[in-house]
Amino acid sequence: MATTGRLVAPGTTRPAIALRALVIALPCLALALAIPQVPHWFVLVSVPLSAAAWARTPDHAVGIVPLVLVAGWWAAHGVVDWRVLVVAVLLLGAHLSAVLLSYGPGTLPVDPRLVRLWLRRALLALVPAPVAWLSVRGIDPALAPSWLWLAAASATAALLLATARLTRSGSSS
Amino acid sequence: MTGGVVLGQEVLVVLAAPFAVLAAMGLAARPRTAPLVSAQLDHVRLHEGQATTSRLEVADLDGVEHIARVALPAPHVATRPAYGAAGSLVDEELPTIVFSPRRWGRRAVGAERVALTSAWAGWVWGPLDLPERGFNVLPQTAPYDSRAEVPQPDGLVGRHRSRRLGSGTEFEGIRPFATGDRLKRITWPVSLRTGELHVITTRAEQDAGVWLVLDGLGDMGVSGGIDGAASTLDLTVRAASALAEHHVRTGDRVGMLVVSADGTRVPLGSGARHLQRLQGTLARVRTEARGVAPDRLDLGAGAGSVVYVLSPMFFTPLVTATATLQRGGGSVVVIDTIGDAMTTRDGDRLELASLASRMQKVERDDRLQRLAELGTPVVPWRGPGTLDTVLQQLARRGRAPKVRA
Repeated sequence: MATTGRLVAPGTTRPAIALRALVIALPCLALALAIPQVPHWFVLVSVPLSAAAWARTPDHAVGIVPLVLVAGWWAAHGVVDWRVLVVAVLLLGAHLSAVLLSYGPGTLPVDPRLVRLWLRRALLALVPAPVAWLSVRGIDPALAPSWLWLAAASATAALLLATARLTRSGSSS
Repeated sequence: MTGGVVLGQEVLVVLAAPFAVLAAMGLAARPRTAPLVSAQLDHVRLHEGQATTSRLEVADLDGVEHIARVALPAPHVATRPAYGAAGSLVDEELPTIVFSPRRWGRRAVGAERVALTSAWAGWVWGPLDLPERGFNVLPQTAPYDSRAEVPQPDGLVGRHRSRRLGSGTEFEGIRPFATGDRLKRITWPVSLRTGELHVITTRAEQDAGVWLVLDGLGDMGVSGGIDGAASTLDLTVRAASALAEHHVRTGDRVGMLVVSADGTRVPLGSGARHLQRLQGTLARVRTEARGVAPDRLDLGAGAGSVVYVLSPMFFTPLVTATATLQRGGGSVVVIDTIGDAMTTRDGDRLELASLASRMQKVERDDRLQRLAELGTPVVPWRGPGTLDTVLQQLARRGRAPKVRA
């Protein structure tokens, strides 16, 4: 009990502890899917450490580190098989766990209605993943017309500009 | 996702696609207005153990999906939910926090942090610090009742029976008619039966002046609030509150003297407003190390007043002042409020603290014994019925014939 008291703040609810465990475990699991391939030692060390830091401060920017490391390692290996879909689900699960934790301190009871709401949103967010997976596996980029790349780049640039504008005006107000 | 497209990393596109949806939805749910948040307590006047609800008021909830609020911890203040954290979606009712002060005195409640989150958790407003509000928590209204009359009621209002005959309503007896008797006092059934005029006599309705003298010079023991152990000052204040409420409700006039560094004196009075004044004074009692006990207690009380001295009797000057008051002819009752503060605990009996505690106890017992020898009753506070026997004995003593030199 004393050990638990040192690891988590007094009054931290059991659901909050479970969510923190998910924040740590899911990125590690996403990396473990690569077995028998063993990632670089830097990735092996950094992912659990950064995930632990993320679990401690779920609303901190450190949360991007385990996501980028895992996604980057899988991207670097260019394996587009079924495991990529599972990795997408695991990373999204870690992100949603952190989002649920970031609504308040660990002593804040996790609202079941909020959990159900975010589960529905997670299902919605996962819709593009299999579509993208099928696309990258089934469509040959060489056959695509040239305007498609131009349109994609333009749309991406427009989204970036809109995001930047919204973020800037929001922070200034 | 953009990186995946730009860099041509197919896996990155697949992995980032769900996050792109979340980001887009979060951005789309951007609030357009800044909310105004404040919190209100349902009550501003509480007794210890009672509770009040803090309700959030948000002027503009457009774009807000979730509200979380966390009350900052305050000594002797319990919250529900535990640890003071509450949150909910705003489509139902806004989250509330219940504050319950567990000890009398000045308490600060309501300090909290509030955070508002937009839909899809894209935007967070706050956390905003809401200020605390301090108010005096009144002592617990401990159940106390006494059927004993105060020894020497003095005055013309109140419930206690007087030894004098008068124009009250309480039946005293029947006697033959005498010159000067009111005709409406004639009892016709008895007069017809006996053939002589008889009248009913009644007792005068009198009230009692009750003084409460509180020892605010020190506080021994650890206070665990209303749910835990009581310190000597806890017992003193709660006993005084119970006595004041009992006597005011029975129509007596009650005054109070707090013996402390900044001693407070509340003159005799009666009624509900006076009871509030007494309880407010009790809630402001403080102990200070530089407090000095007076040599004599100047109450300005008449001979008919009853004086309750509520004290653990650790200070010799206060004992002397009590004895002086007793010699002055008043009905003085010492209510011992030591409680369990000097309960011996298991441990080394030769330890310095243990030795000091036992020496203090021996001195205290000696003081109380001397007071008892002077005729001052000393009773430990036990709640309801604590004073019944003592007051009845004092009343009998008051009725006994006295020889004056």
